[in-house]
Amino acid sequence: MIKSTLTPISNKPLPDDTHACWSCGAMRAEHFCESCGKVQPPAPVDYFTFFGLQPKVNLDAAQLEEDFYQLSRKLHPDVSARASAREQEWSLEQSSMLNDAYRTLRDPIKRTQYLLRLEGVELEEQSKSATEEARTTGQVKKQIVPPGLLEEVFELNMQLEELRMQKKVGEDDLALIKEIGRQKLELEEKYESLLEELQKYWKEWDGLIDRGREAAADERAAVIKKMVDVLNRRNYIRNLVRDLTSALES
Amino acid sequence: MAYSDKVIDHYNHPRNVGSLDKGSADVGTGLVGAPECGDVMKLQIKVNRETNIIEDAKFKTFGCGSAIASSSLATEWVKGKTIDEALAIKNTEIVKELSLPPVKIHCSVLAEDAIRAAIGDWKKKQETTKLVAAEAK
Repeated sequence: MIKSTLTPISNKPLPDDTHACWSCGAMRAEHFCESCGKVQPPAPVDYFTFFGLQPKVNLDAAQLEEDFYQLSRKLHPDVSARASAREQEWSLEQSSMLNDAYRTLRDPIKRTQYLLRLEGVELEEQSKSATEEARTTGQVKKQIVPPGLLEEVFELNMQLEELRMQKKVGEDDLALIKEIGRQKLELEEKYESLLEELQKYWKEWDGLIDRGREAAADERAAVIKKMVDVLNRRNYIRNLVRDLTSALES
Repeated sequence: MAYSDKVIDHYNHPRNVGSLDKGSADVGTGLVGAPECGDVMKLQIKVNRETNIIEDAKFKTFGCGSAIASSSLATEWVKGKTIDEALAIKNTEIVKELSLPPVKIHCSVLAEDAIRAAIGDWKKKQETTKLVAAEAK
C-alpha cells in the first residue's frame, strides 16, 4: 500500500476555514470563488473534504454523483478555454483530483479502504514491522487473520488443485465437484454476512464522527480495527469464491 | 511488471513442494497468510533432535509467482541450517536474491513469517514432549 501523503483527519482545517480568492480577494468555496466564480488553485485536501463531506462511510450516493457531474462540467477544459494558462492548469489539476476522488468515494469498499488509510492503517508496513519485531524479540508473530480461516483457505485450495488436475486428464469426480459447489455456496453466504458485519461498523464509525471531538481516540481505533479485520477476511473469501467459480466453470 | 529470471525459475521448478507428517514430533508447521492479496503459504521443517539441524523442508503456496518463489527459496535456504541459523534469515535477503520489486516485498515477509511460524511450532512441540517426559518420570 502506498504511504498516504494526505493530512490525517485530526489535523485538517475546520470546515469554516476560508481562503481569499486569488482574483477578487473575496472569501471562496473550495473549487471556485463564490464571489467571482474563478477556479482556485487545488488545495491539498483529502477526497472527503474535496467534496465538502465529513469523513463518514455512509454517504448520499445520488448527491455525490450530482456533485461530481456538476463539478466536472465546470472544470471542463472547454469551459476554461478563455481563461489564463494558470487557471487552465488549475482546472486540469482540480479535474483530475475530482475523478480520483469520485472513483474512490463512489464505491463503499474503496471508500472504507481510503478512510482506513487516512486513519493511518498501512497493512503492509504494519506486517513488516511485526515481522521485524518477531525477529528481534524471538516472539511468534501474530497472524492477522484467524488461523482457522487460513486452514480453510489452504484446504479448499488443495481441493481445487485436485479438481483442476482431474479436469486436465479428462476425469470428472462428481463427488468432488458437488463438494466444491457446496463450499462455494457457503462462502458466498459468508461473503454476504461479512458485508453486513462491515455495515454495522460503518454505522459505529459515522456515529463517532457525529459526536465530533467528544469521541475518544481509542473508540475510533477500536472501530478502525474491526473494519480492518473484516476487510482482511473478506479478501480471502473473495479470492476463494473467484477461484472456485473459475475452477468449476473451466 | 516483469518477474526476474530467478523468480521464474523457482516458479517453473519449485524446490521442495509437498508436505511432511504434521503429527510427527520432529516436524514444525507454519501456515501464514497475506490478507492484502489473499495468499496463503505453508512451510514445514523436519529437525534432527540431536543436532537441531533442519534436515528437510517442504512448502505449498497458493499465491502469486513471487510468493511461490520466496517460499521455494526459503525451503532451500533452511535445509542444512540449525534452528538458530534459520531464525537469522531476513526477508531482505530473499528480496535481494530474487530481485523482488517493492510491490512484492510482502511476499518475502510472508516467507520469513512462514519459517518463524514453523520453527515456533516445532519449539512448542519440543516443550510439550519434555513436559510429557517429565510427567512420566
